[in-house]
Amino acid sequence: MSNVTRRGFLGLTSAAALGAGLSACTGGGTSTGAGATQAASNNLRLFTYEDDSTIGLLKAQVKKFDEQNGTTTTVDSLPGSGAAVYPDKLRTELLGGKGPDVWRIWGGQIGAPFAKAKQSLDLSPYYSKYGWDSKINTTAIGGMTFEGVKSGVPFISLGIGAWYNKSLFAKAGVSAAPTTYAELEAVNDKLVAVGVTPCGLGGKYGWDIMRLFEYLLEHTAGPELHDKLLTGAESWDRPEVVEAFTLFKKWQDKKWLPQGALALDPSDVEPWYVQGKTAYTITGPWTEAGAILAAKKSSSAFGNFELPTDKTPARHSGFVEGYMINARTGNADKAAALIDFIVQPATQKAMNVTASTVKGAEPDPKTLPLAAEWAQKYGGNPFYTIQDQAFPKKQADQYFSVQSDLLQGSVKPDAAAKKMQEIVSAWAKS
Amino acid sequence: MATTVALTKPKRGGRWSPWLFALPALIVYVGFLVYPAVSSLWFSLTNWDGLSATYKFVGLDNYLKMPSDPVVVTAVKNNLIWTVVTIAVPTVIGLLLAIALNGKVHGKPVLRLIFYTPAVLPLVSIASIWGWLYNPQYGAINSFLRLIGLDGLAQAWLGQDSTALWAVMVPAIWLRTGFPMLLYLAALQSIPNELYEAATVDGATKWQQFWNVTMPSLRPAHYIVLALSLIDSFKVFDMIYAMTYGGPGTSTQVMGTWMYFNVFQYYQAGYGTAIAVVITLVAIAVGIPYVRSQTKEAS
Repeated sequence: MSNVTRRGFLGLTSAAALGAGLSACTGGGTSTGAGATQAASNNLRLFTYEDDSTIGLLKAQVKKFDEQNGTTTTVDSLPGSGAAVYPDKLRTELLGGKGPDVWRIWGGQIGAPFAKAKQSLDLSPYYSKYGWDSKINTTAIGGMTFEGVKSGVPFISLGIGAWYNKSLFAKAGVSAAPTTYAELEAVNDKLVAVGVTPCGLGGKYGWDIMRLFEYLLEHTAGPELHDKLLTGAESWDRPEVVEAFTLFKKWQDKKWLPQGALALDPSDVEPWYVQGKTAYTITGPWTEAGAILAAKKSSSAFGNFELPTDKTPARHSGFVEGYMINARTGNADKAAALIDFIVQPATQKAMNVTASTVKGAEPDPKTLPLAAEWAQKYGGNPFYTIQDQAFPKKQADQYFSVQSDLLQGSVKPDAAAKKMQEIVSAWAKS
Repeated sequence: MATTVALTKPKRGGRWSPWLFALPALIVYVGFLVYPAVSSLWFSLTNWDGLSATYKFVGLDNYLKMPSDPVVVTAVKNNLIWTVVTIAVPTVIGLLLAIALNGKVHGKPVLRLIFYTPAVLPLVSIASIWGWLYNPQYGAINSFLRLIGLDGLAQAWLGQDSTALWAVMVPAIWLRTGFPMLLYLAALQSIPNELYEAATVDGATKWQQFWNVTMPSLRPAHYIVLALSLIDSFKVFDMIYAMTYGGPGTSTQVMGTWMYFNVFQYYQAGYGTAIAVVITLVAIAVGIPYVRSQTKEAS
């Protein structure tokens, strides 16, 4: 009897441990994500990743929409998490059966899984109803169209460039932004000579330091080849890619990047150019509100320029962000009306959107002079898809791993190019 | 007499009474543990992406491809290193601190509080604090090394494969030392003083008393500390996720984080769940001796 009791207890506790371990994986109550359509109501929920500098503006506009339409919209935000974490939270909410009615998401391969899994609604009928095709930038719509299905409404199309601290450039004797790659390297040397780290990028998560490599690849490969590389149409095992990796390593070896950049958190490093710890960073117009104005600094102390590629046409890295509607919402019409309200030029202006996809919603030079300057000078230039949107997350992480190995010296540029070809060709075949 | 009747002739249906009392807990147990566990086992045999409504049954494919996944190999190796180091070091330090605090030391309550405080701090806070300490340019650790002239030792602790895992283990040791210290301290205080007096009369030195009186008396505490630490170490996730995100590259991935990446980031829920099943089975295997010992004691 005693033995039986022990065994029984052992079995029960083992089963409990097994249950505890495995239940941590699926989460309670989730199965295949094929939940029922939610009931219609006047309550909407919008999920986003706005930070403190913009969430108040969004909430104010949503309140205005609610007043006009008799709805009650809750705005939830997960700020500062970036594309590494936010999609996980969204996915968990959707599988939990209580997903938001509307959510903000990046385009490309970050938004694609939600469309592929049919978690997001096909918005084609609403494109017709509200005439979004004629109001919103066509290229941007393409960034949220997956397998021919318009799954999102892009409201922002952001370009990545160099944002710099004028006083540190002056300290190094640099009076004008570089217009060629050689000039950029010369600027870096001058900055290092006066004890200033040129380019502030952080390698934790991989996507921030990637912005440098993709620029170098645009410089060495040029627009046509770069685009083909991103789709797997051309092999990465080629001299242009090897040269880009060689330059990438050079930037670290010549101390043009912060010491130990691979471990640095982008959210820590990006504001360093504002704090005077680095001369510039590679980022988008959101940095004016998020880093410069948030630090109570004057925009006039900073500047921006498109990283010179020496290629025609001159391009910069870019990506789109927009809104999707939950395929199981019971409030699709109201959700679409909310999106239409948000993409109105007046709303976009009120929200201080720095790079709106909507005509007539250009940034206000009085409140965001640098963002306006960027839009005016470079906003019309074509862009290549930022690489963490060009590749699915798994392949992007493998690519970041190659970057890491290269910067640590454990692989050579030619081996890195070969490895990238293995990664991209395996994905392209799948 | 009445007692005898009650023991030998239970009321009709009385044997179901224990189950009735256990029913509320069993419902919770089945709903929140057994059902998700069985679901997970099932999903580990499918190619479910974690988002779609449909999936295919793939048998043991997810399990069979694990050995050829280079990150799994790295993760298993890291798990083993992590387990050995984060059990051995905190246990030894905890024992030494407990012995020190069990003696005549001034300010014992304050010292106990200081040593145990890291254990109650949120892990994400610890990860942030140590992330700043490790900052290659502005962190306190490298600044201190430069201050004392050891510039050569200042490096990117979390930014290179060779040091990243070890650097994450330091805060893990820091926060995990308090737990064994408390257990050992309680065990030390329960050892009768007469044993030491008898050993002294027999001419035993302090060292001999430690090995022949203290250590044997601490055996139950050793068992609890080791078993719980072992299970805790094998399921490491949070420190790695918060401090390195599995990087640089995949050099600090452990099975827990690699499971998370597959399930939640790569949309490979089937494969990630198979990893979770393996982690759970290993944790159970190493936990069985502890459970057996506890049930033996109870019986």
